[in-house]
Amino acid sequence: MKSGSNLEKVIKSGQPAVTAELGPPMSADAHEVIKKANQLKGFCDAANITDCQTAVVRISSIAAAYIALREGLEPVMQMTCRDRNRIAMQADFLGAAALGLKNCLCIAGDHQSFSAAGRLKGHPGAKNVYDVDTCQLVGIMKKMRDEGLQQGGDKLEVAPKFFIGASWTPMGDPIDFRPYNLKKKVDAGADFIQTQGIYDMELFKVQMEKARNLGLHERTAVLAGIIVPKSAMMLKYMDSSVAGVSVPKELIQRMLKAKDAAGDDKKKAKELQEQEGMKITVELIQQALEIPGIKGVHVQAIEWESAIEHIVKAAGLYPRPDFSE
Amino acid sequence: MKAAEIQSTKGFTAESSELKESRPYPPCRAACPVHTDVQAYVADVAEGRYTDAFEVIRSVNPIASACSLICHHPCEQQCRRCGVDEPLGVRHLKRFALEQATDYRRSKRHAVAQTKGKSVAIIGSGPAGLTAANDLADLGYKVTIFEKNPTLGGMLSAAIPAYRLPRVTLQEDIDDVLSKGVEAKTNCEIGKDVTLAELSSKYNAVLIATGLSLSRSLNIPGVDSPGVLLALPFLSDAAYERKVDLGKKTLVIGGGNVAIDVARTAKRLGAENVEMVCLESEEEMPAWSWEVDEAVEEGIKIHYRWGPKAVKASNGKAEGLEVVKVTSVFDESGRFSPKFDQNETMLIEADTIIIAIGQMSDFSFLKDSAVKVDERGRLVWSQATQMSSAPGVFVSGEVVTGPGSAIAAASTGHRVATAIDLYLSGKNIEAALVSDRKDKINEMPKDIIQKLAVQPRGKVAHIEPDARCTSFIQFEAGYDEYTALREARRCRSCGAGAVVNQDKCVACLTCLRVCPYDAPIVTNKAEISPDRCQACGLCVPACPCQAITMVGYDVNAIRNSMPSIIGDKGAEPVIVAFMCSHYAAEKGASLSSNVRKVRVHCTSRVDVHDMLSAFEYGADGAFIVFCGSDDCRYREVYPRVKMRTELAKKMLGATGMDPDRLAYFRTGGEAGSDWVKAIEDMAAKLKEMGK
Amino acid sequence: MIVGQQKKFDEIWEMVKGFRKVMVLGCNTCIAVCHAGGDKEADALASMLKIKAANEKVSMDVSHGAIQRQCENEFFTPVLEDLAKYDLVLSIACGVGVNFLSARIGKTPVYPGVNTQFFGGVPKPGFFEELCGGCGSCVLNLTGGICPIARCSKSLMNGPCGGTNKGKCEVSQDIDCAWFLIVERMKQLGTLEKLFEVQPPRDWSGSFHGGPRRVVVEHLRDIEEKQ
Ligand SMILES: Cc1cc2nc3c(=O)[nH]c(=O)nc-3n(C[C@H](O)[C@H](O)[C@H](O)COP(=O)(O)OP(=O)(O)OC[C@H]3O[C@@H](n4cnc5c(N)ncnc54)[C@H](O)[C@@H]3O)c2cc1C
Ligand code: SF4
Ligand code: SF4
Ligand code: SF4
Repeated sequence: MKSGSNLEKVIKSGQPAVTAELGPPMSADAHEVIKKANQLKGFCDAANITDCQTAVVRISSIAAAYIALREGLEPVMQMTCRDRNRIAMQADFLGAAALGLKNCLCIAGDHQSFSAAGRLKGHPGAKNVYDVDTCQLVGIMKKMRDEGLQQGGDKLEVAPKFFIGASWTPMGDPIDFRPYNLKKKVDAGADFIQTQGIYDMELFKVQMEKARNLGLHERTAVLAGIIVPKSAMMLKYMDSSVAGVSVPKELIQRMLKAKDAAGDDKKKAKELQEQEGMKITVELIQQALEIPGIKGVHVQAIEWESAIEHIVKAAGLYPRPDFSE
Repeated sequence: MKAAEIQSTKGFTAESSELKESRPYPPCRAACPVHTDVQAYVADVAEGRYTDAFEVIRSVNPIASACSLICHHPCEQQCRRCGVDEPLGVRHLKRFALEQATDYRRSKRHAVAQTKGKSVAIIGSGPAGLTAANDLADLGYKVTIFEKNPTLGGMLSAAIPAYRLPRVTLQEDIDDVLSKGVEAKTNCEIGKDVTLAELSSKYNAVLIATGLSLSRSLNIPGVDSPGVLLALPFLSDAAYERKVDLGKKTLVIGGGNVAIDVARTAKRLGAENVEMVCLESEEEMPAWSWEVDEAVEEGIKIHYRWGPKAVKASNGKAEGLEVVKVTSVFDESGRFSPKFDQNETMLIEADTIIIAIGQMSDFSFLKDSAVKVDERGRLVWSQATQMSSAPGVFVSGEVVTGPGSAIAAASTGHRVATAIDLYLSGKNIEAALVSDRKDKINEMPKDIIQKLAVQPRGKVAHIEPDARCTSFIQFEAGYDEYTALREARRCRSCGAGAVVNQDKCVACLTCLRVCPYDAPIVTNKAEISPDRCQACGLCVPACPCQAITMVGYDVNAIRNSMPSIIGDKGAEPVIVAFMCSHYAAEKGASLSSNVRKVRVHCTSRVDVHDMLSAFEYGADGAFIVFCGSDDCRYREVYPRVKMRTELAKKMLGATGMDPDRLAYFRTGGEAGSDWVKAIEDMAAKLKEMGK
Repeated sequence: MIVGQQKKFDEIWEMVKGFRKVMVLGCNTCIAVCHAGGDKEADALASMLKIKAANEKVSMDVSHGAIQRQCENEFFTPVLEDLAKYDLVLSIACGVGVNFLSARIGKTPVYPGVNTQFFGGVPKPGFFEELCGGCGSCVLNLTGGICPIARCSKSLMNGPCGGTNKGKCEVSQDIDCAWFLIVERMKQLGTLEKLFEVQPPRDWSGSFHGGPRRVVVEHLRDIEEKQ
């Protein structure tokens, strides 16, 4: 065992892993975290606690992860390269480990300009850090864990033991380089991989095959990312604007049909689309799990954590294995 | 409304003319014997500055008015527009400018103080003598002209027929010279009325500028018969309106310009039938083709390639000329050496035969003088000093150069005046008298020609042949203002373009990028090819280091004169209108006086600075008037200057002023005068805004 | 070259308005080439200040000029004394010039009229593009001649990140994804495998992060100073 985390155990057991996502609030309100943690608890093996996603200031990933842990939900803390230099990062790893956190996902992080993209003012004028990038961060964590050394070379009496994750956008540009991109993260030490949301399963299969050809499926656990669609509009937006995501026409059609079935009733339209969205998610999960080398799914119900229960159950992934003594 | 009423900045300054002198000349200027700055005065005409044009012309040419009618205009032959369509109507423009500036010219005449305390006698009042008199008087010498004829002007007065050169026109030139305090003694022949020795003793220097006053004759049987005349006496009689007996049928021998003048004069004196006979073919004929055409129009028949053999006469009257066929005129090396086929002859009937085969000098007045004539009858002189073999006796004009043009004779007048001045100042003439040959820029490159719009040359009207042959009335009309302005705009301002100050250039490549003609080359520093540059001026405001100046105009002229352009501000809002001279000269004048009109050769030359300077000096608004794209003489001006204007608007806005105080308007071709209204609207708006 | 942009006029005016005798000083090198602070721009800015001063009824005497380079002593020698006579020198050189002059001019303040931006190239007329981060430790051999420090919004050494969208950076559709370009270029060069290696964390101490930098070329130093 590298970390002894629940997620690591599930993966090791060979059963399909399920991770979910918990977005901390934009205020010091612990209850929001507690509420979401309880919605997810029992329906996933671990939940990612995002690190100021879209560069918006929220409860820090470590703090929220600790709250979740207290609630009995295993967290995957996230660490972006955007906001911290290697000193802050390593200090946070030590602290997080001391608090009992065991999973960490390393990511580059959305650029600070995203923080003002929506309705928020954000902090587009912030200075970003990018002292190290994702691969390098993964390598630093691994070095700390396995060699007991800081990046600079100083010794660690007690090394932080993390199950190290990295993100992967399998269908991003330049698409033929993406498998190698994955390989670099694996080479650096990524124990598990959570992918960008996938709708185009056919294309994903192709990319996975390439990853398998590089032998990566044996060296890391790839969890296919599924973003639960809420509406036809959301799908269209993801298709056109989100990097590395393409949504097959049929899926959009299905959502549109669900929407149209409600006629002028807006509330009903929302309901019907959400139902259809969950249905699609379940299908996607099942398709993903059939792909050789896929070790689980990372289901993201953004600001809709309550949907997870239904989805996991419908996908036949309930109950979740229990390794607690 | 006269264009001349519009004020504007004058583009030429002493500074830029110094630069100009250091650069190769445009071919027109290089070709002109006195190096008239053709493009400068043409540009003045284009912008309606006629008096300025006059100044440019008169500064080098004391026989300007005569030239404006009779010059053979080598400038036009060399004009780089020839490659595009037709040469610029330089002579016509000169005439137009001078006519427009007549009042101004007269008002400027004044005596020049004779500061030198030395005197010069000039023999002969032709172009050479007049020019020398002009220059020497300007230098402060006391000048006296001796002329054997009753009038001044040399051949211009005594030979060139009035239908080409009305004497009132010539008189303007003569009056200019005389007004400086030059004394003229007419009807005074040296060698007869006064001797050369007398002059030499009375004056500090003497100039012989006696031209070619004798006509050559032929050595053929019967040439002494009554009815056989010589060209110069004939023309002179006509010029001074002395009675000449002409029969019904006149035959002129000769193929040069003088022969044409003789024939056309004969026609006007009443000869029913005038014919010419010459050795040359139509192509070989030395007379200018346009003169030949005009003669033919007038019904003069020309017998080409016949040589005179004998004059047939009976009863003391000429009856005709026997001619023999010419087989060739020039030998293999191009030398004049006519060959005849003695077997082919004919008789051309004529009761008057006028011989016009050339002129020569009359050196009888030099007999017993210190001025030597060589065994071949040529005056001995030195080109390097313009002096004859007698110290203090100078020579110029055709008396030494042989036949040529009036303006060429005038140019030697300038030269000899300098020589005399050096001599009288005790300086070495040879060392200081430099050759006036100038480098000129090359022909227009082919790819540039393709970029230039074809614009036909402005034509002048001629009186119909039938009508013009009844008298000596001037047969050629001048340009009207409309035609003159358009013609002036055809000039490509060759060689007047951009020059990079290498010390300032940072090789940023901007000029190279904005130039529509690929004229700049940037290696270490920018250099601009004078052959390619069209002098549009687009690059000047683009250069971030202000490293580019223009040969033809002062790039700071507008800004520097902005205070005077704005002048006193009255109650009305002051608007500075930068107007493309295409339209400004004609339509801008109708704008009310609170609109300060600044004519620019092309809006390409208006910089952001110029626009801002208007506001800097207190203007309430400014306006750029572009020409329509079809008739812009340059390329890419509108989009480029529009961007520039947008920038200036932004800058103005940044200072807190309403950017709409700066506006631009593009005229929709010649007909459009909407911009006049647009400026008026702007004025009204500014008034509402409270200035 | 160094690329900059003139500051917003309002900002300049706020800086300048309290001074009576102002010199707008341009620099005829890089900043002139990007049309932000050469002779010409100094001239234009002076014009704007005059217009503004007149409109605001502020009495202000504005002059303008430019020297070859505001980052070397010798170019200042002929003008330094004159510059010191002004109440303010508004330098529109890059920040280097402002620093440089400020240290030499004595009591006269030197204010910046330009925002100094980056080291850039001119891919086409009127476009200036950041191409080098001046990081002090060049890696262009590893990245196909495309600078990941300056041209990747996240300065990634092991890019691309997940934000690449159709070859563009997630930051803006107007920005090319440097790593997309790097991959394509390495393919073209036949050296793609170089990118398969994980680049370790960088030593940034040779960049600005090591404190202000200095380069000394020993053999060019003043003999006296060296001794
Ligand atoms: C018919 C004709 C047509 C021409 N047409 C043109 C034309 O269209 N364009 C053009 O450019 N050129 C033309 N020319 C040529 C031009 O006129 C001459 O090039 C020019 O006049 C020469 O100037 P000059 O000063 O050397 O001599 P001239 O003009 O010949 O002047 C010499 C003067 O000296 C006087 N003189 C001579 N001997 C004495 C003396 N002993 N005492 C006092 N005075 C004396 C003469 O009377 C004469 O007035 C023409 C010439 C002729 C004859
Ligand atoms: S275009 Fe103008 S400048 Fe050029 S040769 Fe002709 S007259 Fe002279
Ligand atoms: S625009 Fe000016 S500084 Fe730039 S290359 Fe041309 S002359 Fe030189
Ligand atoms: S832009 Fe105009 S003035 Fe400048 S070099 Fe080109 S043609 Fe000449």
